[in-house]
Amino acid sequence: MNFPKYIHIAKISWQNGFVYRMNFVMWRIRNVIQLITIYFLWAFVSSDASGIGTYSHSQILTYVLGTSIIRSVVLSSRSIDAQGEIASGDLNNHLLKPFNYFGYWIARDFSDKLLNILFSVIEISLIIFILKPSIYFQTSQAYLVFFLVSLLLAACLYFIFSFIISMTTFWFYEHNGWGQRFLILTLIESLAGGLFPIDLFPDIIVDIISKLPTAYFIYFPMQIYLGKIAAHEIFINFGIIIFWIIILYLFAQYLWGKGLKVYGAFGR
Amino acid sequence: MKKYFRIWLKTTSLSIQAYLAQRGGALMFVLGKIIRFGFFLSLLFLVGDKVSKISDYTIDQLIVFFLLFNLFDIFGQTFFRGIYWFRELIISGGFDFSLIKPISPLFQAMTRKTDILDLPIFIIIILYLGNRASSLPFSTTVSFVFFSILGLFIITAIHISVAAFGIITTEVDHTVMIYRDISSMSRVPVDIYAEPVRSLITFIVPIGIAYTVPAKAFLGILDPKFYILAPFISLAFFFLSLKFWHFALTKYSSASS
Repeated sequence: MNFPKYIHIAKISWQNGFVYRMNFVMWRIRNVIQLITIYFLWAFVSSDASGIGTYSHSQILTYVLGTSIIRSVVLSSRSIDAQGEIASGDLNNHLLKPFNYFGYWIARDFSDKLLNILFSVIEISLIIFILKPSIYFQTSQAYLVFFLVSLLLAACLYFIFSFIISMTTFWFYEHNGWGQRFLILTLIESLAGGLFPIDLFPDIIVDIISKLPTAYFIYFPMQIYLGKIAAHEIFINFGIIIFWIIILYLFAQYLWGKGLKVYGAFGR
Repeated sequence: MKKYFRIWLKTTSLSIQAYLAQRGGALMFVLGKIIRFGFFLSLLFLVGDKVSKISDYTIDQLIVFFLLFNLFDIFGQTFFRGIYWFRELIISGGFDFSLIKPISPLFQAMTRKTDILDLPIFIIIILYLGNRASSLPFSTTVSFVFFSILGLFIITAIHISVAAFGIITTEVDHTVMIYRDISSMSRVPVDIYAEPVRSLITFIVPIGIAYTVPAKAFLGILDPKFYILAPFISLAFFFLSLKFWHFALTKYSSASS
């Protein structure tokens, strides 16, 4: 693997983010509005009660603000554009170039995540400064390290997961693959704990949802941050994430091989 | 008016044909929308299971707020879907062709496409609210219809403003999504938001008037001051949006054409 090549791709992707400045500003405004909306919603929901379920008022607000940072680390992904390239036939351009398509999107994802993290941290800090919510600070250094490791693993898992969705466009290219992407994103939003902590569901549903890879995108890292999981369980769950990463990676490679065989470069 | 209705019927028929030609993708969009709708509703039920009242609202009332939010949101999505493709017309100069046709370019821009994918959710909401509305006093029904019409004026005005802003800045996609994000604040009554957010979404971008006020009228809990405020704000907002549109047209540069 020729790293300087991929570092250049990441740099170009970073610069790309600032080319359409108006577009960029509007995108960040959207992020802030989404954050404020979900924050006020939960502040409202948990205001009268001492909390919701096993979550205290401050834990639920921490969960909501924390998910915003986790989204910027885990769920921000440029590889979403791969489906458009497959559907439009623009994938040809990449197949002719001397780099690995998978590596190309990892590089682009990396710079996109950096950009997202940078601005999300600034925005959330401002919101915390202005609204002064009662939030929960994790003081255990071990748990903070576990939290960072879980973010890294979740980002890897989501990248492969998202890439697999993009590759379904080889077979289902209607609406540039946006139908299946929209469906999966909606499911992720709910099953990953983006809208609310999934353990608010009845136990039987939690048992099922918590075993899916989607639970590791947002819910699991936040559970670690809030100290709701014992240390030995964290290690078991790390093992499960690594298992999912390997399985999904192998599946992605398989799909890529099969997909290229049916790829018709329509629209070229 | 008849001419416009016939054009709308034609574009709607073409949109339906386009969806049917790509029905697999359309089906996935519909499923996604139903799941999203179902999950938020389940959130309300889950919360309702744990607390009986939030602020001054019962869970049952919050469900009405959520359903009416969806109903008005579907209105914008269904009839003004064309706005999502407006940027492409502006940056390509293709809007020139709209300007020379003997039909309002604004009408063309907004109704270029009709989104029928929210139809299942629309039916669910209408069935539920229709059932509840049958037991409402006549005065409450009239009040609800009155404020709903005002709400639709505001939603139309916001779409007009987005189109006008698009002509001036060539930025449409994020602007319309910002509107969607702000309007999603009305899934719950706007009273829950602290100042100055509450005033901002009631008077500046009056989504509170568009979504929350009709829902309160439906529930019979509307503050009487809105009988004066809401018509004034919604009509003023509508006329200002038209002014903005006409101003924006003078700035159209016909780039790339």
